[in-house]
Amino acid sequence: MSGSILIIDHDMELAQALAVYLERQKFEVRIVDSTKNALEIIRNLNPEIILADPNGPAPLDFDVLQQIKSLKLKSQLIIYSVPDVLEKSMNFFQTDALDYIRKPVSSIELDLSLQKAIKWLAIEEKLEKNSREIKDLKNAQALLQQLFDEVPCYITVQDKNYRVTATNRLFKRDFGNEIGEFCYKIYKHRTTPCTDCPVAATFEDGQRHQTEEVVTSKSGEQYHVLTWTAPIRDETNQNTQGMEMATNITPIRQLQDHLTSLGLMLGSMSHGIKGMLTALDGGIYLLETGISHQDPERTSRAFEQVRQMVERIRKMVLEILYFTKSRELEYQEIDVQELVRSITEIIKPSASSHNIALQISIPAAPGLIEIDPDWFRSALINFLENAVDACSSDTAKNQHYIKFNIFLKGTDQVCFEIKDNGMGMDQETKEKMFTLFFSSKGSKGTGLGLFVSNHVIRQHGGTVSVESSVKKGSRFEICIPRTCAKKKFNPV
Amino acid sequence: MKKKILIIEDDPAVVDYLTTLFEDNGYAVYSAMSAQEGINLAQKERPDLITLDLELPDEWGPRFYRKLSSDKELKNTPVIVISGLSGNKYAVSKAVASLSKPFDRAELLKIVKENID
Repeated sequence: MSGSILIIDHDMELAQALAVYLERQKFEVRIVDSTKNALEIIRNLNPEIILADPNGPAPLDFDVLQQIKSLKLKSQLIIYSVPDVLEKSMNFFQTDALDYIRKPVSSIELDLSLQKAIKWLAIEEKLEKNSREIKDLKNAQALLQQLFDEVPCYITVQDKNYRVTATNRLFKRDFGNEIGEFCYKIYKHRTTPCTDCPVAATFEDGQRHQTEEVVTSKSGEQYHVLTWTAPIRDETNQNTQGMEMATNITPIRQLQDHLTSLGLMLGSMSHGIKGMLTALDGGIYLLETGISHQDPERTSRAFEQVRQMVERIRKMVLEILYFTKSRELEYQEIDVQELVRSITEIIKPSASSHNIALQISIPAAPGLIEIDPDWFRSALINFLENAVDACSSDTAKNQHYIKFNIFLKGTDQVCFEIKDNGMGMDQETKEKMFTLFFSSKGSKGTGLGLFVSNHVIRQHGGTVSVESSVKKGSRFEICIPRTCAKKKFNPV
Repeated sequence: MKKKILIIEDDPAVVDYLTTLFEDNGYAVYSAMSAQEGINLAQKERPDLITLDLELPDEWGPRFYRKLSSDKELKNTPVIVISGLSGNKYAVSKAVASLSKPFDRAELLKIVKENID
């Protein structure tokens, strides 16, 4: 046995004898003859075992012993005394003392008590170590939970039936708190597991797998996600659950799409631009020779050609600028009547040059509308110019008209209806008309016009609906809210 | 008699430009907006030279050239490609010249002159 022992006894002789006995057993022993001095020594020494006889010449000093216990030291208290003091001690200390030994002390009784004390000390030390470890574990768990929650990805843990058993904070935010629901139901609104599921692959081979998916959030938005799966093993090393980590890469995909479209656009535009520059060269040649030959007919033809080309180039450059730059709308309050008047002024000459009747109807007091006048006007003109083209390309009818009707829908919507009896559109043209670079006009169109116009309308929080039938004509209805939607524009 | 030039080009502004330019330089000019119209006109008028755009509404320029070459009467007619496409040199390898839009007026007239007499 070993350890440190403090003996508190007024009977120094007995204490010395005890000390000799204990030192022989390799204990480190100190002796105090009064409980009054004991307190300070205990604080400094912090003995593992205290052997005390509360009986002495002074009155019984249980209070001091009680104070010693209240220090909450590890020390184990063993009380030894004559039988009546021992009984009083028992009443007073109850289980606060580890053991009570009758005087005269038998060595076997003392040895057993000391062994018991040493055992208790060991148990208490173990207990302390365990609780320290539990505390560390709790901290580590809290940290892991925090990491799990704060990872900027969607994380789900799934069982073998693809039921979600745990999710992190970001997932809960975008897909709801759907513990127990099927992964494919939450992410893809499916009723059966997806084909080529990476989680299934991980269950199969215990390896990590990666895929790219398109998922739909609880608010109905579509996200491109890059998913990584990994096996989660239980204590018997069985792959019972799978983890799926999905990173939202929608903005990267959007940027990529935009860059791809830009590349496509520059490619397809360069051809158009070269054609226009050639035509502009032609105009300048006609102008030069018209002047030098003093040929007024040629000069005016040249002037008309240059004017047209400048207009075409201007339009194309504006469209490119619109497309290449994400641009916030600059809203202004505009009188609807004034807006319609300025649009009519632009479109009327081109309609009448093709003998197309332009009929405009507008309610008595259409009021004000909040728009970016430059872009919104350009978009409407674009729709009207398309109507003019549809009429001028139509050889089946003699009489052509374009009806431009403005009406109010509900309390907060202003609608612009553009109706023509031109050549109309087939289903395919109708479906593709708002896609980038689609043009039904051969070398005349850039394919940007309606794409950009549609974007401008949507950016205003508005809608475009189309009805059309081949050889009969088309009808566009553009409705926008009277007050601005203040939506940030994303070009793709 | 004036030498005849056939212009095959779908942009009316460019047609107008080429027509005026060639007429001012003493040529008789015919123009076609599509490949089919071009073939018909070539067979009818037997031009001394043809300018060809590569992108036509009904047909791709090189195919027009093959059709032209398969006609014994027309296959030796010199063709000048005038196109906005880059790398057009290789599109019609037997063309006497390939010009890229916008082209140099003096260069075009020089090539025409070299190939028409």
